[in-house]
Amino acid sequence: MLKRVGLAVALLLALFGVPRAELQETLVFQEDVASGRLPKIEDRVPNDPEVAEFETTGMPGGELRMLMGGPKDTRMMVVYSYARLVGYTPSLNLAPDILKSIDVEDGRIFILRLRRGHKWSDGHPFTSEDFRYWFEDVAQNNQLSPLGLPISMLPQGEVPRFEVLDETTVRYSWTRPNPLFLPDLAGPSPLYIYRPSHYLKQFHQKYAEKATLDVLVKQANQRNWAALHNRMDTMYRNDNPNLPSLEPWILKTKPPSDRFVFERNPYYYRIDEAGHQLPYIDRVIFSVADSKIIPAKTGAGESDLQARYLRFDNYTFLKASEQRNDFKVRLWRSGPGSQLALYPNLNVNDEIWHGLVRDLRFRRALSLAVDRHEVNQVIYFGLAIEGQNTVLPQSPLHDPEYRSAWARFDVHEANRLLDLIGLPRRGADSIRQLPDGRPMEIIVENSGESTEQSDVLELIRDSWRRVGVRLFAKPSQLTLFRRRVFSGETLMSIDKGIENGLATAAMSPWEFAPTSQQQLEWPKWGQFYETKGTAGEPPDLPSAIRLKELYEEWLAAASQQEQTRIWHDMLQIWADEVFSIGTVAGVLQPIVVNAKLRNVPEQGIYNWDPGAYFGIYKPDGFWFDLSETRAKSASVDASPSVPR
Amino acid sequence: MLGYLVHRILIMIPTLIAISIVIFTIINLPPGDYFSTYIAELRSSGEAADLAKIHFLQAQYGFDRPLWEQYLYWVAGFLRGDMGYSFAYNLPVNQVVGDRLFMTFLVSFTTILFTYLVAFPIGVYSATHQYSWTDHALTLLGFLGLATPSFLLALVLLYLANVYFGISIGGLMDPQYINQPWTLAKAFSVAAHLWIPVVVIGTAGTASMIRRLRANLLDELQKQYVVTARAKGLHPFKLLFKYPLRMALNPFISDIGSLLPHVISGAAIVSVVMSLPTTGPMLLDALRSQDMYLAGSFLMFMAFLTVIGVFVSDLALAALDPRIRLQAGRRR
Repeated sequence: MLKRVGLAVALLLALFGVPRAELQETLVFQEDVASGRLPKIEDRVPNDPEVAEFETTGMPGGELRMLMGGPKDTRMMVVYSYARLVGYTPSLNLAPDILKSIDVEDGRIFILRLRRGHKWSDGHPFTSEDFRYWFEDVAQNNQLSPLGLPISMLPQGEVPRFEVLDETTVRYSWTRPNPLFLPDLAGPSPLYIYRPSHYLKQFHQKYAEKATLDVLVKQANQRNWAALHNRMDTMYRNDNPNLPSLEPWILKTKPPSDRFVFERNPYYYRIDEAGHQLPYIDRVIFSVADSKIIPAKTGAGESDLQARYLRFDNYTFLKASEQRNDFKVRLWRSGPGSQLALYPNLNVNDEIWHGLVRDLRFRRALSLAVDRHEVNQVIYFGLAIEGQNTVLPQSPLHDPEYRSAWARFDVHEANRLLDLIGLPRRGADSIRQLPDGRPMEIIVENSGESTEQSDVLELIRDSWRRVGVRLFAKPSQLTLFRRRVFSGETLMSIDKGIENGLATAAMSPWEFAPTSQQQLEWPKWGQFYETKGTAGEPPDLPSAIRLKELYEEWLAAASQQEQTRIWHDMLQIWADEVFSIGTVAGVLQPIVVNAKLRNVPEQGIYNWDPGAYFGIYKPDGFWFDLSETRAKSASVDASPSVPR
Repeated sequence: MLGYLVHRILIMIPTLIAISIVIFTIINLPPGDYFSTYIAELRSSGEAADLAKIHFLQAQYGFDRPLWEQYLYWVAGFLRGDMGYSFAYNLPVNQVVGDRLFMTFLVSFTTILFTYLVAFPIGVYSATHQYSWTDHALTLLGFLGLATPSFLLALVLLYLANVYFGISIGGLMDPQYINQPWTLAKAFSVAAHLWIPVVVIGTAGTASMIRRLRANLLDELQKQYVVTARAKGLHPFKLLFKYPLRMALNPFISDIGSLLPHVISGAAIVSVVMSLPTTGPMLLDALRSQDMYLAGSFLMFMAFLTVIGVFVSDLALAALDPRIRLQAGRRR
């Protein structure tokens, strides 16, 4: 597939690359260029910049205000900007982005070609040395990276061979396919395999002079050079204003602060068809406020583009404020496989329950006894998609049967299954009894983060009552909640469904196999896989073992057909076995957009990976259409924000 | 007196050590540490954590060491003026706290001033006009302030201020002034935002102060020296302010002890609701995310201020009220 991508890009370049529009100097840089403080635009963009196509060609300028919940949220700029070596397109294909092209042989040899003349935000060239520095001096330095190379670069523990072919070409090769490499480079929190070496070398023991470095360490109040290097090297966290970057907007505010200003990168690698250097918007401003007050602030028109910390139940309030504050509320689909799903803990300690949750009939019966239509109507105004916790209709792997398997509301059948297991109904309230005589009471624990979970549980409680099962909701605290699940104290939990409802065959199916302790349905099996057998328990259900084998097959699969086949096998098992009980999916996410902001899609997917929230829609192409208000805006020059 | 001073100062040392042990223990009581909380938090929002970096930080800050060793490390740093490192902010604690102290001080000081300005006249008035209808009306007003949940009042005022005056919601100034040098416009913007938290936090405090002042003053007003002074024809105002009111002030002086840390910590809940850039929300966040050095050092700082405050208020009381001074002298 990637070969085809490379080809497509070559084709695109042939079409647009040569006779393109003259480059135009950006307004805010004109003065600096005239005085010689900044090179001319021809010398700032790469020799072969990425030419972006947008719905509308915009005008540079303006300021985009957003609201964030805490100082750590500066990383959201990196997520939203979505400048990656390779990235997903809105149709979920991988395409080179920062890279000019990428060649993949047999899924195991990757040749990465940079753009000639591409520069960091401080004007220093971006070359293969930046890749070498990371691979040799950061990732394999045991003081800086005690864990060594990241997992996605170690297929079955194999370290790649890294070669610098020339100033703008590098090659990574393994002896077996590594399907995790490219998706990880394209992630919202990406694998960074390069670093601004010219900047970071001053903090590296190998390159810096000891005396100078010691002074720097002391000044920064750090313990040693490695801590200092790690403090300065925050490409994802994005809290070091001095760190050179390839992003469209660069942090200009030194933390701590409640307001973070990001200014346009004069050396950005993308231009539009009219020859404007992107991004269109000059400055992005993050105002930090408590996350609970953000919907109110958004409603008051204090954000130009907001989705974070807005929830579906804010929709009516936001819609009511639309007129007053000149913004539009759009509804995008969210990406998880299920908004909320119940996870019977297959590793629960209690022996009786342990046997029951492993009984397929039991899990199916509980799933049949959930009235998803009611949940949808009562809590989500009937706008969500009812069904199991699996891939969404937008995913190429989608099959309606995966979603509808054991997802109808059928009290009769559920009762029949439970009777078959031998759980008699006793007493005046006709609650079923466990084999040891205890009443059948299921405590569903949650992280206590939202009232949404309790509302859904309240509805499920009523329908489960009809099959003789009593449900108690127990809100807990985030860390404690997970710990109790991990240790097997929790019988059942409720949490978000699978993260990647938009999966394609090329994306890892890890969420469907016991591969991580974080999986609430089989934490100990996941831990066993994660720790390579030193902790946790080996999976002992045949279906779970099969899922794990399939996952390992996927890791070794070389072709897309094979990957697709494995995916479907896994989804089928997942649907039959009801390892998690899904409720509804595709709950709508309100997106507040300033009425003058252009190129933000009307319909979209709001998802973490793939998606990077706004990232795949490329916010560097968003622009403010001030044509109607230009006359007015001249008089309100005092306010630095874009006039509403 | 000098012996008393030295004694009081020396006793502060074991007090502070005890407090530091209690703080450190309580912060470490919940399961997990900052990093496990952080990973869980990221997971719940669907993000993956950079495990390599987390592993690095855990090793750097000795999370694998026994607790007492971590404690000693923290205390030793404290003595050198190093308050530790905030993981959430990725900065030394000094910088994180320092940034917010001024605004906290501004809010708290204005609030205290507001409380005094409202509570004093009302308290004096309702004591001198006991059981009159104005006394009842003013007392009712005070109780209303006490009984209204302050976070609710905060939300209502925020909404009204936004809709009718166009003041941005939450915070202490319009966003464009943050990190800018002080100008008249900025000061004006701060003033426009400041009144809501001041009124909200202030109203909650006025009732108790009115009641206390009223009760104290009533006690004094019935004493014989007041009757004598009045019989001798002293002007009512001079009588009131020179003698009974001064006596009634004692409890307020002893309040300074708790006032000092209060000025620094601010009213946490209201600050969270209104998203004020003060230390209250910061402390709450630090405790919730188990950012232990930030939470611990800040609590320690507050404990230190409390100890100092109590000391100062004791001294002030002794200076103001000869009776206390005499008794202290007699005991020694």
